[in-house]
Amino acid sequence: MVSLFERITELTFNGPDMNLFINGTERVINGVWEEETLLSVLREYFGLIGTRFGCGKGLCGSCTVHVDGEPVRSCITSVNNIAGTSVLTIEGLQQDSEKLHPLQQAWIDERVPQCGYCHSGQIMQAWGLLSKTSNPTEEQINAFMDSVLCRCGTYDRIKKAILRAAVMLQQSSDTHV
Amino acid sequence: MSDITRRSFLKATAWIAGGITIAFSARYAMEKSVAVGPTLEFPNTESGKGWLQIQSDGKVHMLCPRMEMGQNANTGLAQIVAEELNIRVEDITLHYPTTSETAPIGFTAGSLSMMLFSKPVAIAAASMRENLRCRAAKIYKIPVDEVLDTEGGFVIIGSPRLGYQDLVTDESIELDCEDSVIPNLYTFDPRRIKKQVGQEAEPRGIKDLVTGAAVFSGDIQLPGMLYGRVIKPPVRKARLKNLNLLSAKNIIGFFDIVRDGDFVGVVCRTPGSLDKAVRSVIVEWELPEPINQEKINQLIDINVALQDGDLPRTVQDENHSPSANWDVDLEFAVQLQTHAMQEPRAAVAHIEKINDIERINIWTGTQDPWAVKRHCASDIGFSEDQVEVHPMRMGGGFGGREHYEVEQDAARLALATGLPIKVQWTREDEFRVGRNRSPSSHRMRLASDHKGVLSNWWHAYASGYVFYSRSRLPDWLLPIKRSTAGGDFGVSRGAHPAYKSSSIRVEYKEVDLPIDLGVWRSLNGAPNTFVIESTMDELARQKSIDPVKFKLMNLPDSMARLGNCLKRVEKMASGKLLPTKSGYGRGFACGVYEKNSFVAVSVDLHIDHEARKICIDRMCCAQDVGMAINPDQLRAQIESNLVWSIGMALMEKVEIGDGQIASNNFHNYIIPRMSDIPELNIDVIDNPTIHPAGAGEVALIAGSPAIANAIRDATGLRLTRLPIKYTDITVPGAL
Ligand code: FES
Ligand code: FES
Repeated sequence: MVSLFERITELTFNGPDMNLFINGTERVINGVWEEETLLSVLREYFGLIGTRFGCGKGLCGSCTVHVDGEPVRSCITSVNNIAGTSVLTIEGLQQDSEKLHPLQQAWIDERVPQCGYCHSGQIMQAWGLLSKTSNPTEEQINAFMDSVLCRCGTYDRIKKAILRAAVMLQQSSDTHV
Repeated sequence: MSDITRRSFLKATAWIAGGITIAFSARYAMEKSVAVGPTLEFPNTESGKGWLQIQSDGKVHMLCPRMEMGQNANTGLAQIVAEELNIRVEDITLHYPTTSETAPIGFTAGSLSMMLFSKPVAIAAASMRENLRCRAAKIYKIPVDEVLDTEGGFVIIGSPRLGYQDLVTDESIELDCEDSVIPNLYTFDPRRIKKQVGQEAEPRGIKDLVTGAAVFSGDIQLPGMLYGRVIKPPVRKARLKNLNLLSAKNIIGFFDIVRDGDFVGVVCRTPGSLDKAVRSVIVEWELPEPINQEKINQLIDINVALQDGDLPRTVQDENHSPSANWDVDLEFAVQLQTHAMQEPRAAVAHIEKINDIERINIWTGTQDPWAVKRHCASDIGFSEDQVEVHPMRMGGGFGGREHYEVEQDAARLALATGLPIKVQWTREDEFRVGRNRSPSSHRMRLASDHKGVLSNWWHAYASGYVFYSRSRLPDWLLPIKRSTAGGDFGVSRGAHPAYKSSSIRVEYKEVDLPIDLGVWRSLNGAPNTFVIESTMDELARQKSIDPVKFKLMNLPDSMARLGNCLKRVEKMASGKLLPTKSGYGRGFACGVYEKNSFVAVSVDLHIDHEARKICIDRMCCAQDVGMAINPDQLRAQIESNLVWSIGMALMEKVEIGDGQIASNNFHNYIIPRMSDIPELNIDVIDNPTIHPAGAGEVALIAGSPAIANAIRDATGLRLTRLPIKYTDITVPGAL
């Protein structure tokens, strides 16, 4: 696979560029791509393919990323509405190059994925929950995760993995104190 | 056949690049008469040998013979290789072959992977092991049986350990096993204490799936690639009546329109401009026949069908007496359902020229890459060796990815523009062109003596075609296939009674429906089992016999494995008391999928009048598919099937509006969500001496009737129209 960057430049139009901070790095978007959804820009402009397209209408959650710390559906988020914000995608979740993010590790420990297509969105949504609610109840998990679909039906394991990750996060914050 | 040459065709495409719409002369218009069947090259005892390699560093490599869509079959096959070679499954490198890297391999569907591939793979690995053992014996000039197994190689008493790397040289040798008898297969040796098979091996590629690194077909990016989409008709074989493309061309980012008869493709420079351009196309279709719900209901109405006497197909017919004293006589309606796999289909196609020969490369997630290859070749006028399919991981399959479709869109647009093209179907496209599971209409009658011994069984039903539907075959082939003696085995799947009865008639009628139908998880296995298990439950209740006891009593000895599942699930269920309050119920159902996969499910639920909802609290499942190669992945498949059974029983229905399929996204096609999922208790029965059978579509068949039976237990209502809604319970006269 190649970066799309070179071929994209020929499509650009004159006009002010816009900036986004994606996974901690400032990135510039220009030309016709400013009219695109955040999902297209992430996937096709920056090659961050981990964010998936499932419905295009904000109905399935496969495309979930964080904008300024809040989970959003990137398929219905227009980039020109979020200029200057910080975007976190599944590729940027892992902070420590040696160690997966606790949610990712818990997903492996519970053997959650089947086809795996929904899980970038599931994990980003789950991080939206755990980053604010460190010790969620099952009801809170259900309520928060209900908007992210998994056609393979891995929900039971998703729930277990979230609970497991919550414990892992708790433990690591305990040791840091 | 069009006589346009490749050269003049290329000239024409250069012209298109100017953004002018032309109807390019279509040599692929012949598609209408092309029939490309599925790839049926299933393995024999020799085939596995082409998929394994030990390199001179001793590392084992395996070409994956199965397409990956979440079932993790290749992980299971790798476990078998590891068992045979005394290595760890993690040490095997897996490769996913393109269509030119191996001979064709049978399509990935019907849960056949373990059933058909486990033995050939085991034979290949065991032959390799024994061949290496012979080499070791030769080197040390000792009898073969003094060369003993050890991890990753052999030991000979008094000598240092021999790793496989010590026995393999750089020269490439093909194993000649013709003279060898089939070696001892460790995988299938009941006396062996297994180290890999039966363990919970980690699914391959799981880390990439949780970090976002996994690559699906829509993730492929090529230099200069553009985005294309073909305007989809409401049903296949519809004709284009009116088309206005004018405003599409004014969209910024618009590149081209490719038009040939009813084929209209739009190509743009970005996904967003493509969306806009496609939205601005005004199009009108002429359908072969009008579509509406009422008409479809009439076409499959079982009572109308029975007015003409016997139905054309019989599954079983012994001592039938139509005027028996029927104890129960129920009518059922099973809804139209779709796959709705999470990943809408996508393909990337690119034509390259090497030494003056054109080749098309197609990246796609497909259950049958070789069928895509053959079909593409005949579609665009290439020879088969000019087509290379790169099969990608699929975001769910469920029977929905067996044809040349999104690949066709990409291939034709790549051919017309001369550029790499990505086609990503929208969710709306998926709903429009999904080959759905047919609705069906059933009437089932049963009679027993006062003790509950079954005497008469009569199940009659009408369903649209599964394999021989309009949307799966060209028109000229339809009558030929439909008149074959055996009938459409997708329609009859699951209709064989597991129970014994002195009089049995199971008959059906296939109906030609004007909607796109096809292969869906379990084919008609789930609808038929829903009908059978609901009616059996009803008869037991009318005779005041415990439904589980009643079923056990009527199972023949040959169904001991099914009876065992039922007993085990009953025991599991009884581990938790059902609240005695009104509105709580427990139901059971069981079933056999394709002769060798047995399952029983129990459901505890309650009716929540405040939330106006049927709440499933707990499901237990016992499943026996023989040897459990990877018990954790069997459990995963059961979980998935149970979730699907909730969707089938309570939620999913493709709505038909006036003239077309009305459901078009997840707001009007409801599938289960996390809060719909109950506590799941799963018992994977391991039967190590029995060859593994399919597990991918088993528990689904028993799940939905267990739900209906639990609703009957909770409310006294026998609900027979799927999906069952809360309003079916409260509205008077819902029965
Ligand atoms: S793709 Fe964005 S919510 Fe479904
Ligand atoms: S794992 Fe396939 S959709 Fe969630």
